[in-house]
Amino acid sequence: MSYYADIGITILILMTLAVSLNLLLGYAGRVSMAHAIFFGIGGFTAARLTLPTKEELGGVATSGLQTGAGWSWVWALVVAIVVAFLAALLISLPAVRLVRGEYLILLTLAFQLVANQLMGVLKNVTGGPFGLSGIPSMTIGDKVLFLPEEVFWVFLVAAVVSIAICWGLGESPFGRLLKGLREHDTAVASVGKNPVVPELLAFSISAAIAGGVGALAAFYYGSVVPSNYTLTFSILIVSVVVLGGIGNLTGTVVGAIILGLLEPMLRKWFGDGAIPWQAVIYGAALVLMMRIRPQGLIPEGKGLIRRRRGRRPEAEVPTEAEALERLSHRDDGADTSAALGMPIVEVHDLQKSFGGLKAVNGATFTLEQGKVTALIGPNGAGKTTIFNMICGSIEADTGTVRLRGEDVTGEAPYKMARRGLARSFQDVRVCQRLSALDNVAMGVPDQPGERVSQLILRPLRTRRVEQEVRAKALDCLALLGIASQADVLVSDLSYGDQKLVAIARLLATGCDVLLLDEPTSGVDPASVEKVIAGIGRLRALGHTVCLVEHSVHFVQRLADRAVFLDQGTVIAEGTVDELMNRRELAELYFGT
Amino acid sequence: MDLNLLAQLTVSGVVVGSSYALLGVSFGIIYATTKIFHLAHAVSFAAAAYGAVWASSSLGLGFALALVVGLVVGLAFGVMIELVFYRPMRNKDATLLSIFLVSLGISVAFPNLLQLAFGPDNRTLERPGNPIYELGPVTITRVDVIGTVLIWLLIAAVTTFIVKTRFGRSITAMRTNPVMAEAVGIDSKRVFTVVFVIGSALVAVASLIQTSKGVATPNMGLQPTLIGFIAAFLGGIGSLWGAALGGLALGLLSSWSALWLQVDYGPVVVFGVMFLILLVRPQGLLGKAAV
Repeated sequence: MSYYADIGITILILMTLAVSLNLLLGYAGRVSMAHAIFFGIGGFTAARLTLPTKEELGGVATSGLQTGAGWSWVWALVVAIVVAFLAALLISLPAVRLVRGEYLILLTLAFQLVANQLMGVLKNVTGGPFGLSGIPSMTIGDKVLFLPEEVFWVFLVAAVVSIAICWGLGESPFGRLLKGLREHDTAVASVGKNPVVPELLAFSISAAIAGGVGALAAFYYGSVVPSNYTLTFSILIVSVVVLGGIGNLTGTVVGAIILGLLEPMLRKWFGDGAIPWQAVIYGAALVLMMRIRPQGLIPEGKGLIRRRRGRRPEAEVPTEAEALERLSHRDDGADTSAALGMPIVEVHDLQKSFGGLKAVNGATFTLEQGKVTALIGPNGAGKTTIFNMICGSIEADTGTVRLRGEDVTGEAPYKMARRGLARSFQDVRVCQRLSALDNVAMGVPDQPGERVSQLILRPLRTRRVEQEVRAKALDCLALLGIASQADVLVSDLSYGDQKLVAIARLLATGCDVLLLDEPTSGVDPASVEKVIAGIGRLRALGHTVCLVEHSVHFVQRLADRAVFLDQGTVIAEGTVDELMNRRELAELYFGT
Repeated sequence: MDLNLLAQLTVSGVVVGSSYALLGVSFGIIYATTKIFHLAHAVSFAAAAYGAVWASSSLGLGFALALVVGLVVGLAFGVMIELVFYRPMRNKDATLLSIFLVSLGISVAFPNLLQLAFGPDNRTLERPGNPIYELGPVTITRVDVIGTVLIWLLIAAVTTFIVKTRFGRSITAMRTNPVMAEAVGIDSKRVFTVVFVIGSALVAVASLIQTSKGVATPNMGLQPTLIGFIAAFLGGIGSLWGAALGGLALGLLSSWSALWLQVDYGPVVVFGVMFLILLVRPQGLLGKAAV
C-alpha cells in the first residue's frame, strides 16, 4: 500500500509542477527552464523554518544536527510560497526591459544553473551538497502524517487546488490577456493593456505553486538535497507539459501520470540499470511530439468542457440598431456634439530619421473631434511612421503630440490607449487562436477580471463584469455586422472579417480617437463595403477617426478632411475633393 | 595581492577563456544565423569526445587518428541534427519554441543513450604524456599551449572566411536579413548546413581539447554549450569576435574570482555575470540596441 501511495505522491508532485508550468508555457507562451529551482526554493525555505531550534535540541550545538526556526508546517508552507513568488518576480525583472522570447529561456537556464550551484555552495543556508535533513513531518492536530498513504491526501488536495487556480486564471479574462500577449503584444498594448505585468504575474504565480509543492515534498521526504533540483528535473517538467499538450491542463494531468509511472515501471520490470531509459523516453517523447503532434496529446481548447464554435444563429445576436443604441449611451454621459470640429489631437513639427533617412520632416496637422481625417500621400511619405509616433510605439526625434491640449509625446502605447487614443495595424494583428469575441473583449478597458487580485478577492463581481464585457464585445461585433461570427476562431475568418474584428476591438476600447492603418488593404470588395459602413458608424458614435489609406475611392467616400503628405511633410490640407482637384497633388499621388 | 598567484590565474584564465571563446564562436555562428537555440550543441560536444574514446579503445587507433574520428563524429552529429530534425520542422513552419523543445529533447535523450552504451563512468582517452612547462612562477601544460594557439588560429580562420569569401558573406546576409538574402538568390538550406558544419566542427575541437587533458562523461556537453551561449550573448549576438572576446573575458573573470572566492564559486560567477548583463544590457556588451 505504502509503495503505491509513494508512487502516487511522486506523480502528484510532478502533476502539480507541470500544471503550474503550463500556466506560463500554455497561456503566456513562455518557457521557464528553472521550475525545479522554485520547487527547491520552497523546499529549503520550509526546511529552515520547520527544523527545530537550537534550544529545542537541548541548547547544545551538536555538529551533526541542523537547526531552524521551529515553526509549524502550515506557516512554513505559506512563507515558502511567498518566497518562491518573490524570487520569480526578482529574476523576471529583465522582462520589464522587454527582454522577450528566447531570453527568458536563457535567463531561466542561467538561473537554474547558478541557483543549483549555489545550493551546493552556501553551506550555512542549504547545508551544502548533502542538504538538510530531519525536517519534521506534517501534523494535523495530534496526528503526525508520516505514512505515504496518509500524506497522499495532502498532495491530492494540493494538486486539485493548483489545477483549480491555474484553470481559473487561464480561463479568466486574465488568461485571455495572456493568450493575446502570446501572439501580439503590440496589439494588446495598443488597446490599453500593460503588456508586461500579466506575464510577470503568470511567471511568479507558477513559481509560487512550485514553491508550495516543494515545501510539502520537504515535509514528506524529511530532507532537501540540491541534487533533487537539477536542470534535468526542470526539463522533465517541461516534457510533461509538452507531451500532454501546451495550454491544456487535462493533457498535463494525463502526461504527468504517464511520465510519472515510467520510472517505477522501468525499475520494477527492468531493474535499476534501466533508469537512463527514462530520460531517453522523455527526450524521444519531446522530439516525437513536436514533430508529429505539436499540439500535444490533447490540444488546447479540447477537453472536458466543449466550447461552442461556429456561427451563432441570427436570432441570438443583437441587431446593428440595438448595438448602436447601446453603444451610443456613453458611460460618462458627456455630450460631445458641442465639441464637434474642435481640435482634439494636435501634431506639431514631428521629425524622425532612421539612420540617414528622414522619414518624417516636420509634420504638423490637427485632427478634429468627430471627424474622419485621412492621411494620404505616395508610398514612403511617412504616414505609418507618424502613426507610430502619435501612439508612442516609436519615439519622435523632435516635435510634440497633444491630446485634448495635453502634451502626450512619447507616452507608451498602452498609456495612450488609456488616455483615449488607440490604433489598428496594417497587418491586423488579431489573435488567431482566440475567437472573434475574445479578441474584441480584450479591448474593453478596466476589466477587474484581468487582475489576479480581483479574481481571487471578488470572484462574483469579476464574473458579473465579464458578462457585461462579453455583451459589449458582441455589440461591437454587431455594429460591424459580424456578430454571427463571434464564436469562430479568428484563424478561420476571412481576411476582411479579421480587419473588421480589429476595428471592433478598437471600438470596444471606448477610445475617442481611433487611428486606422490601411483598414482596407488586401481586403475583398464585399468586405470593403462592410469596412466603410463600419467606419461610418464609428463617426456616428462621435469617434474621431484618422486613417491611412491608399484607395482614393475609399477616402472620398469616407473622409471629411484629408492631410496630404509627401516626403515626411504636410503639403496640403482640406477636403478630399479639394485636394484631388489640385493637379500637382493628383500627379504626386498617382504618379505620371 | 600575491602577484605570482595573479600571474598563474591569468594564464589559466586565458587557457580556460580561449576554450570558452571557441565555444562562444561555435554556438554564436549557429544561433545568429539560424536563430535556433541549439541546445543539442551539447550532443556534438559529447559525441566528439566519445567518438575519440571509442576509436582509441575499441578500434585501437592511435591518439592523432582517434582525434580525427572524434572530430568527424562530432561534426556528423551536429549536421545530422540539422538535417533530420530542424530542417523538416522549419519546412513545416514550426515555431522557434517548438524547435527549441526538440533540441531540448535530443539533448536530454543523448547523454542517457551514451550512458547505456558506454556506462556511467568516466572514460579516459589513451594519450601521450602532457609535460608541464615552467615560466618563472607560472606553469602551463603542453596541451594547453597547443590548444590555445589552435583555438585562436581557428577563430581567425573562421572570421576571415566569413568576411573575405563570397560564401561567408552570404552567411552574413542570411543572418542580417533572411528574406532579402533569399530574394537575391542565396540558398538558405546550403547556408544553414554550412553553418552547422562550422559550428559543430568548432565545438568538436573544443571537446577534444578538453578530453585530451581530462575525461569524457555522458553529461559533459551541457555546461560547455551554455557557456558558449553566454559568451556569444556577452559579445552581442552576430559578432563572432564579440563572442570570442566574451568567452575570453568570462574565462579570465571566473579564474580571477579565485582570488576572492572559493573555487566552487567559479560557475556561479560565470552564470551570475550573464544574469547581470541580462539585467542591465540585454543586447550584449558589444551588441547594438534592438530597434
